[in-house]
Amino acid sequence: MAASNNEIQQKIRELIYNTCIHLDDYQWEDWHDNCASNFNYAIKAYSPEVQADIKYHGGDKEYMESITKLLNKHNSDQSPLRRHCTVYRVDVAKDGKSATAISSLVVHQTQLDGVNSHVDAGTTSVFLVGRYNDKFVIDGDSIKFEDREVRLDTRRLDKGTHWPI
Amino acid sequence: MSSRNHTQWNATPDLQRGEWVDSRIYSDEQIFEDELNKIWKKTWIPVCHESELKEAYSFRTMTIAREPVIVVRGKDMVVRAFLNVCPHRGNMIERRPSGNYKKGTPSGTPKTMTCMFHAWSFDMKGKCVNISRKEAGYQDRLNESQVGLRELKCEVYFGGFVWVSLNDDIGVTVAEFAKGSLDVLLPSLSEEPLEVFHYHKAIIPCNYKLWHDTNCEFYHDYLHYHNRITGFNDAYFARKNNGFDGGHINVGSFEVQYENYEGSHGREELSFPHLPPNHWYMIDMFPGVNFNLRGSALRCDLMTPLGPNSVMIEFRGLGLASDSKKDRQTRIDHHNSIWGPFGRNLHEDLLAVTGQGASMHPLAESRKILHGRHENETIHDENGMRHYYEEWGKLLDRNPSDPMQKFKPYPEFKEQVAQREAAAAVE
Repeated sequence: MAASNNEIQQKIRELIYNTCIHLDDYQWEDWHDNCASNFNYAIKAYSPEVQADIKYHGGDKEYMESITKLLNKHNSDQSPLRRHCTVYRVDVAKDGKSATAISSLVVHQTQLDGVNSHVDAGTTSVFLVGRYNDKFVIDGDSIKFEDREVRLDTRRLDKGTHWPI
Repeated sequence: MSSRNHTQWNATPDLQRGEWVDSRIYSDEQIFEDELNKIWKKTWIPVCHESELKEAYSFRTMTIAREPVIVVRGKDMVVRAFLNVCPHRGNMIERRPSGNYKKGTPSGTPKTMTCMFHAWSFDMKGKCVNISRKEAGYQDRLNESQVGLRELKCEVYFGGFVWVSLNDDIGVTVAEFAKGSLDVLLPSLSEEPLEVFHYHKAIIPCNYKLWHDTNCEFYHDYLHYHNRITGFNDAYFARKNNGFDGGHINVGSFEVQYENYEGSHGREELSFPHLPPNHWYMIDMFPGVNFNLRGSALRCDLMTPLGPNSVMIEFRGLGLASDSKKDRQTRIDHHNSIWGPFGRNLHEDLLAVTGQGASMHPLAESRKILHGRHENETIHDENGMRHYYEEWGKLLDRNPSDPMQKFKPYPEFKEQVAQREAAAAVE
């Protein structure tokens, strides 16, 4: 028996929240496993300075897999990022084969080695504010991310990060 | 000798003058004020790109040496710059980062810059066109012709960048100021209009010169896995680091092997006019501007020094205005993979200068910072920084190695200039 709309919505909420844990805990492979083969990822923001939508980061599943695989070869700020996410809305298509979701997102950063660890380590601040705009592909019991746009309000990212949001 | 005690640590390095600097140049409050007054208020500073001012009446706001500046495009399509300050009570006239005056503002009529405070209005040439209740308050003692905006020197040059100077007496064009350092990319950037596709900014707790130093030396390739894997070969190490008068440098090109970075692809399908595929040129202009053209994407860093230990860096990415949608997306992806706020290299560069800022903060004990590598003026030579600090020392009349003492010219660059002039005479 096909899952009801409410059941699909609930599963999608759980998927979004579990993905936050995967991303918080650097479980990149678990994240990639929850993405469809045609998955596309983008971090974007509207810049009032140049009056244009700016894509800061992103690519297809292959690209995101390759850059997360190479993370340990790069020098990165290892200050942990923690996502606080609230799923505002899940809309399931009439045919039950796709869905979209909008979630509010705040990411906090707790300093470790980003500046002077003796002074700053342990200090938490807001790293960014934005939304997840997600699309899902549904195939029976399987629900996977097909598209994730991280739409940022925050445009001053200072040192930035190597980690996907 | 292995580790050193305090006296040894502070001893003068056994190097030539100019091959080290004193870290107070990166942290001293008075030196920073001198820099604003004697350098940043005196020279040409690129502030934005003309593609950010596409239509008549569009504007952008910015700051040079703490002075608020507005750049507007008039109905004659000429770009002009003014202090963004109302001559009445000193309010900042425009608060938004960008916009267009075709529509009126709550206090003002269309096609004017209007100070919201008391509704004094100015046209796109800086002429005051309205003093509210003028006769009632000023009778015949003051009129519009006496209270125009302060106009600033402004030029559009080098692929459409908008350059502004606070110095009415600068006496040189941007091209003359560049002393030939821009020529290497002038054909590629002047063939057809460019367009900004990327903008983001960062405020970093370090001195602005530390960011410029990083852009001036490639020895920090060891910071970047991407550069090591895609770059290190004989042609890479043969790239020349060329000094020009005025403290400017540029770095010659070679062919980058982008495909050596897993998940990355060559950029041969997309370039700039007259630029061979996958090539990479860099220009660092005094006192703090960087143009960086990697095959398909042009990056430009503009700095606004905020304090001895704080700098705002604005990062732009540019392509051709004529780009197809597909080509534009390719340029954006190429740009972001290295230079976006989530890119592989930019984050590493910013981490490094943040660490320098943490070590060389104001009132920290001074240190000797080495700029002494000599490799025949190639890519890991530190001549770019030495060249910069010779100009810096001249303008401030401070010795970079002992900034409380007066400047003495560096012997190295006198010789180089003489050699260049001799070679030019032979040609």
